[in-house]
Amino acid sequence: MSSGRPSPRGKGQSRQEGSNGMISIDVSKCSGCKRCEVSCSFIRTGGIGRAQSRIKVMKVEEIGIDFPVLCQLCKERFCADCPEGAIQTGELGQILVDASLCNGCGLCERLCPIGAIELNKKNPYVCDLCEGDPECVKECNLGALRFEPEKRNRVILKTWAKKNEGLSPDEKRLRFAVSKAAHLRKQWTRSRRT
Amino acid sequence: MVYGYAGRILRVNLTDGTVKTENLDLELARETIGGRGMNSRRLYLELKKDIDPLSPENLLIFGVGPLTGSPLTASAYFTVSAKSPLTGILGDSAAGGHLGPELKQAGYDQVIITGRSAKPSYIFITGEKVEIRDATDLWGKDIWKTSAAIRKKLRDPSCQIAAIGPAGEHLVKYATIACNNSRMCGRTGMGCVMGSKNLKAIVVKGTGAVILADNRRFLSLCKEIDRKIVSHPEYQKRMNLGTTMLMTDLNRIGILPTRHFQRGIFEQVGNVSGETLARQFKVKNKSCFNCNVHCSRYYVTEDTEGEGPEFETLCSYSSRLGVDNLHFTLRVNTYLNRMGMDSVSSGEAIGWAIECIEKGLLTPKDFDGLDLRWGNTDTIEKLLTMIAKRKGIGDAFAEGTRSLAERFGKGTEKYAFHVKGLDMICGDPRGLKAYGLTYAIASRGADHLRAEPFFELTQRYDEAEKRFGTREAANRLSEEGKAALVEYSERLALLIDCLTVCKNIGLCMDVLDFETASELLVAGTGLHFTPDGIHQLLKNQIDIDRKMNLEFGMNPSLDTLPARFTGEPLTEGASQGSVIDIDKLVKEYYRIKGWDEKGVPKNQK
Repeated sequence: MSSGRPSPRGKGQSRQEGSNGMISIDVSKCSGCKRCEVSCSFIRTGGIGRAQSRIKVMKVEEIGIDFPVLCQLCKERFCADCPEGAIQTGELGQILVDASLCNGCGLCERLCPIGAIELNKKNPYVCDLCEGDPECVKECNLGALRFEPEKRNRVILKTWAKKNEGLSPDEKRLRFAVSKAAHLRKQWTRSRRT
Repeated sequence: MVYGYAGRILRVNLTDGTVKTENLDLELARETIGGRGMNSRRLYLELKKDIDPLSPENLLIFGVGPLTGSPLTASAYFTVSAKSPLTGILGDSAAGGHLGPELKQAGYDQVIITGRSAKPSYIFITGEKVEIRDATDLWGKDIWKTSAAIRKKLRDPSCQIAAIGPAGEHLVKYATIACNNSRMCGRTGMGCVMGSKNLKAIVVKGTGAVILADNRRFLSLCKEIDRKIVSHPEYQKRMNLGTTMLMTDLNRIGILPTRHFQRGIFEQVGNVSGETLARQFKVKNKSCFNCNVHCSRYYVTEDTEGEGPEFETLCSYSSRLGVDNLHFTLRVNTYLNRMGMDSVSSGEAIGWAIECIEKGLLTPKDFDGLDLRWGNTDTIEKLLTMIAKRKGIGDAFAEGTRSLAERFGKGTEKYAFHVKGLDMICGDPRGLKAYGLTYAIASRGADHLRAEPFFELTQRYDEAEKRFGTREAANRLSEEGKAALVEYSERLALLIDCLTVCKNIGLCMDVLDFETASELLVAGTGLHFTPDGIHQLLKNQIDIDRKMNLEFGMNPSLDTLPARFTGEPLTEGASQGSVIDIDKLVKEYYRIKGWDEKGVPKNQK
């Protein structure tokens, strides 16, 4: 972005009808290095730690899958049911947490069907697309992460809300990752075992 | 405020179940940096040297360094140290993966374990609490099943686990400790020590953060290193093949261990090369924490899958045993990872047996009737299952090649390729003189990683003259300048083990020098480090390791190599006619170290 980062606006003011920014994932390319976690936490918080990263890599070792899980900017906006109104939407469609309104109750964490928003020391961590210039994407030199500024077709997570009800964020992420990687697993066995 | 370091160490006594957290002694940190250096110093200061390595008194130490888990590329490693049950001297082994950074995020620089649990246990470490928990239901499970069972039980799919397998439980002397299922602390039998303590696993969950002193400076140093890595001439090759690239490379220069070092060229190398492995079975890259080379690989075959293998396993279970079947090699890699057993030491023991039968010194009857021949994959696989659980003759193999050969005698000892009890890695020292010297003098036995003098393979002659005073230091067949190269690389290797970074990047790709490391340490910890100071502390620590080994009863005259490498010239290829004059090299090395003619440090601290 040559003219600096766009400033976030309130809910419902997406810059183009029906589209939003999106970090898309190519799981076949992810090696599980966690450089995304490192840069996310380091650049945004000054310390390096998974608990304060907004993207979290699930390493499913027994099946060789590495899968970065982050906010899908879903159509349903489960987390936005915040009683304090602390969860808002930015102009790229990204989730923004207003720290001055958040009381750390953890409802958003429980509501997110895929574990993309999680509290650490009472603060919710969720991907906000770094105002349109995501640090994690810059660090991924395998092309597993890609930023699409104007993605159409919103992700629908309705079925996941049911399937993952009552699980911890990490358990939700695991189920989501395994399911999303099923196709790749099939490809591997087809290509290597025939 | 402590920067870089987590600032705490953990002491666990498995006999009485006590757990104690202490503040890190910053003076000790300044003297030893961390990782292997601090572990070694701890052994030197606290371990009674004449104990049986499998007694409760042995210390098992997990250590990370001040830059572990930082934005520095591949700051992924941790080192495990103890008195080795395989060699009886200093034992340690490092692994990458993701456990080291997790330990740091949990708030610990070092975990010191002593005693022996009455029943199988695991240690559960988080930032807030440490618990010794029952592992009775895990005992007997392989490493992969152990990790999966722990994660399921804790309902935590992302905790990091270092575990032993059945080989460790059965006290196989070269049992390994694994993290992330397939990243191995492979050498010197640290898994055996862990098994002797009835300790099945260490489970770590970190929710804290690594905090550095000067973020801006540190990041700019890291960016410069990253730039050097991605513009390195070997970058793409290392990313595609990792260390398996060495199969073709070593074969080309005639030093690929073939049929137990009887030759240096494997005629079927094309069937088992890194290139073939990548083409036929690799499905994706795998990576240690925060690495931008991603040199590890995931493979899927008709009957197995897993991460790796690295060159040492690939070579140990192909050319070194006369096998040209990658299906076999990958099955064995998976099996050894699950069982927790070192590929180099197990492979050497089997190679020794096959050569002894071939030479007529022993017969299959000596080995429970096993039809041990080059390339006989079924028998080799069967023997491995016997070793892992100490069944039949497998019990003798589980003691290590040195002990195995001593048991049979009859001149078989000269075919046992080890130094001080640690089996030799895959690289024929007749065509790699600095590596040969490294095997001879390394403080844990015949191993390359103590110095990793990869420089001698790079043909950078001008740089050789600048660094070591002779162009010949960059010529692998020359003995000139090699003692100087090894002395230099040994310091750099220790530094990298103290920071806990990857040696492929730090040494082989030559992107980390003492000056940069010093700047990283200052920016990372805020403590006062200088290149000169670092040189001095590394020299001190190497002297202390030496002194400790002498206290363990090590005989300095064992700073040598098996007779094949000093007396039988290679018969063909690019290293034809070559042997290594190890005594001369060792003497020169002592001289540079300032040690006396018996290899005893003069100025002991």
